Amino acid sequence: MLFLLPQAIASGIVTGCVYALIALAIVIVFKSTDVVNFAGGELVMIGAYIGLLCIVYFGARYDVMVVVVLAAMILIGCLFQRITLEKITGRRFSASVDLVPLVVATIGFSYMLKGIVRIFPYTEEVRRLPPLVSGAPIFIGPVILQWQDVAILVATMLVMGLLTYFFQFSESGKALRATSQNPRAAALSGIPVARMRMLAWALASAISGLAGILLAPKLLMTPDMGGVVMLAFAAAIVGGFTSLPGAVVGGIVIGIVQNVIGVLMTPQAISVTPFFIIMVVLVLRPQGLFGDIIALKKV
Amino acid sequence: MKRSSFLRVWTCLAAGLAVGVAIAATAPAANAADPGITDTEIKIGLFGPLSGPLVGYGLDPLNASKMMYEEVNKAGGINGRKIKLVIEDDKCTPNDLVAVVKKLVTVDNVFALHGGSCTAAVAAAQDYVNREKVPYLMLNAAGDNAVFPPTKYVFGSFHGTQRVYGGALANFAVDALKAKKAAIIVHDDDYGNANLKTTKAILESKGVQVVAVERIPPNINDLTAPMLRIRAANPDVILSGAYPAPTVLIAQKYGEYGMTKIPLLIATQGIPSPPAFAKNVGDNNALVNVYHTWSFTDIANEDVHKKYFSLYKSYFPDRTPTPFMVSGLPSALTMIQALKDAGRNLTRESLVAALEKINLKTDIMAGPLAFGPDRRDALRSVFVLKFDGKTEKVMPGTFSWDGKTGL
Amino acid sequence: MYGRLQTREIAALVAILAFGCLLPYAAPEYFVYLGNSLMMYAILALGLDLLLGWSGQFAFAHIAFFGVGIYGTAILQQRYGLPFLVSMPISAAAAGMLGWLIAWPSTRLRSVYLALATYAFAECAQWVFRTWDSVTKGSDGLRISPTAIFGYVINSDQRAFPVVAILLCLVVLSLQYLTKSKLGRHLCAIRDSEHVAAASGIDVRQVKITAFTLSAVYAGIAGGVYVLFQSFVNPDVLGASQLVLVLTMVVVGGSGSLIGVTLGVVVVGLLPEVLRLAPSTLLVWQEFVYGLILVLVVMFMPRGLWGVMNKWFAPKPAMALNASTKTDGDTVDAQEVGR
Repeated sequence: MLFLLPQAIASGIVTGCVYALIALAIVIVFKSTDVVNFAGGELVMIGAYIGLLCIVYFGARYDVMVVVVLAAMILIGCLFQRITLEKITGRRFSASVDLVPLVVATIGFSYMLKGIVRIFPYTEEVRRLPPLVSGAPIFIGPVILQWQDVAILVATMLVMGLLTYFFQFSESGKALRATSQNPRAAALSGIPVARMRMLAWALASAISGLAGILLAPKLLMTPDMGGVVMLAFAAAIVGGFTSLPGAVVGGIVIGIVQNVIGVLMTPQAISVTPFFIIMVVLVLRPQGLFGDIIALKKV
Repeated sequence: MKRSSFLRVWTCLAAGLAVGVAIAATAPAANAADPGITDTEIKIGLFGPLSGPLVGYGLDPLNASKMMYEEVNKAGGINGRKIKLVIEDDKCTPNDLVAVVKKLVTVDNVFALHGGSCTAAVAAAQDYVNREKVPYLMLNAAGDNAVFPPTKYVFGSFHGTQRVYGGALANFAVDALKAKKAAIIVHDDDYGNANLKTTKAILESKGVQVVAVERIPPNINDLTAPMLRIRAANPDVILSGAYPAPTVLIAQKYGEYGMTKIPLLIATQGIPSPPAFAKNVGDNNALVNVYHTWSFTDIANEDVHKKYFSLYKSYFPDRTPTPFMVSGLPSALTMIQALKDAGRNLTRESLVAALEKINLKTDIMAGPLAFGPDRRDALRSVFVLKFDGKTEKVMPGTFSWDGKTGL
Repeated sequence: MYGRLQTREIAALVAILAFGCLLPYAAPEYFVYLGNSLMMYAILALGLDLLLGWSGQFAFAHIAFFGVGIYGTAILQQRYGLPFLVSMPISAAAAGMLGWLIAWPSTRLRSVYLALATYAFAECAQWVFRTWDSVTKGSDGLRISPTAIFGYVINSDQRAFPVVAILLCLVVLSLQYLTKSKLGRHLCAIRDSEHVAAASGIDVRQVKITAFTLSAVYAGIAGGVYVLFQSFVNPDVLGASQLVLVLTMVVVGGSGSLIGVTLGVVVVGLLPEVLRLAPSTLLVWQEFVYGLILVLVVMFMPRGLWGVMNKWFAPKPAMALNASTKTDGDTVDAQEVGR
């Protein structure tokens, strides 16, 4: 079965990039607000459905659709942070962040997003967005790739590059990092903490929306497609949960390992692979490939 | 801790326990004879997934059943009795379905049960239904695990079990396509197990070599690995028992990897709506060699299609039904026929007896709906259709499972 | 042991027992079935709260131990003919052992890492239940034959109900003792601040592992209860949605309080049944409403329903500071749970 590996790895990289995009959104939120976003998958789902709404029901052009989706996603993300999370984190401004209510809030949010889609009839059927780019498949040796695959690869790299630049060099990016490391000190030095957290959610939601548009032609759409978030968590864990390049590498690793195991062992093991990886990484190397050493951040 | 409090607790507990055991030991097991039936009315509990992820399997079929019962009522009822429905939502989960069944039987006191679109959920209620001796017809679950082995009060599989789809496709592959080497792709769940067992047994009994068996998780995102393995095994036919979304992904990869010379045979559940399937695959070039099973005559027969779909429209003007709507018809038709056969002197036992003798030919089903003393799965033959993305072509004859091979 | 059981705590136990003995004769099987389910969920949720509310560990593996309890009890009974009173404790102990094994590596992890590691474990366990055909019957599901205790055959919800009630009583009683014990105090201390706890001479890791193990044992017992009144198990019921359901019960009711969690079990457990009474056109809103309730609870009731009720019933504090603001929970009242 070894001769199948090139194609399996190539497809794994592309699928992994989709996981990576979602993982990036999760890492941004965690880095800057300490929230583990269990609604990350549902944000992708809602982004894809807004796109479908634009194209199928309003007949919008593709570029218009992308703009509408990004705008809507930014709005959704900001509102959720402003209305819900701010209220929860606001309760205990400086003390250690209580993980449970925040996680439960995002789980509740994920049910709300799924519920909104389900309210509309016929959404239970499998749907598909038209691909961003299409054309005859590309042959590279034994490997076949679609143009949409290339678009996914490029978009992931672009998003990761922009984000790294943003966090390393831009004023707002640095402020965002400061907010995450010590909100009280950040507030004292004049950083608008609440606005910074909204910025983080806006970024994360926009990326999720983009992921939705790119992924919907490839993985198909159902209101339950948000389950893909667990693969993004696995990707983030492999990458260390706080590292942006780590998330991308993690996503690609997960994508490749799934396919390689699928090809060499049995496809039955594909679904359990990411969870197995999470466990192994956390037990052997909790900081992942690129993460900071886990320490008590705040007492 | 003080000794007194300790003693107090245990005394109370022991007293409670004693009372409990005493009462339980003298439990009355009285059960009034056949509730839910009067001189003018038969109460039937009708349920299916009306919310949640699997609503697509239940909403339209349940409406279809409801409409058939209302048609009967309009025509004067059955043996002088009208049918009264109690409708519930089972969400297709075992927990909800068991709760619904218990509610219908003990709170609403229905005469018979009719519902359930998911096999695992139905199987969870099976013991209870048999213990309470309530006749139970599934709505449109394939129901493999609930009808094999058969139990007295549970009837189902009105549009075929997975064994029928698998068996029909296997027979089609051998008889019509003259296949010699087959690949099978199914999910690693109860549907997949049942499909695989029969398909493999029939293929092997007819001398076909099964060169690849791929069992994939239902939530799979990337079909690369299984499809590559199938391509490498070089089969001359592929049989799929996957769900709608994975089926689309399978067809996409199948086209992408240039496998379209190999016929792809898909079980009914993969293509609940052929036009939507073609749209999702997005490339009709991938569909030049695709076949699927279908248990209903509506695709082949325009008149039948019109009859039921316009009837639906007249009852539910606000909703355009999905093609899978028709799967709610056979169970209602069977229930109605059995109630008629059981006569005016209707009891739960006489309904079961009538169901056991039934052999119903309808205009909508590919084959007769029949039960027997040891048979609880209704339909055993289905059509195979060739679908090129635009038009459906019915393959001559029906294809069936003999009820034995690969059981 | 710090303090003894109060009269009202004993009253609660007696109430459960009385309820357990009388309800089966007063109500149709449907309600008895709901009662059984609620009591099973109560054991499950109380066990989860031991981790979540008492030791502040956010672990998701609970549902896996529940599965070990179900499959263990059922298989030991059916395949090896062990009576329920033997097979259930063995399975609960097996769940505890597994919990202990998982606790070793995972108690080193904190917050989200612990949550994700245990979640991953639960998913792996579900995969094993689904794939290990020869033992669990895999995804076809396992039929559970009726159980008997000393000749008392449990083949209906009515007959299971008193037994389930007794088991729940024992669980509640043990938890009441536990919360008053040294271990309970240590758990509270660790939840409030690991550093302070460690500085006060508490072996933090050991206590965490003990809590994890005990929590797994309770989940195993809940699995045994499942076997008592259900007749079929399929790995699908051991998935993430079930876990979220139990988590919701704990959070909505009020984490860290026996009464709070029980309240949450009753409210959240009955919600879908109450929603059945709603007109069918509203059915599609269920999932949205469920999510909305979760979000609103964590926003406005940080201590859950029980916290709100406590606030109403408690004598008004003299401090005017609290009165103006809706927020609460700034100070963690370690004793509140034990009261």
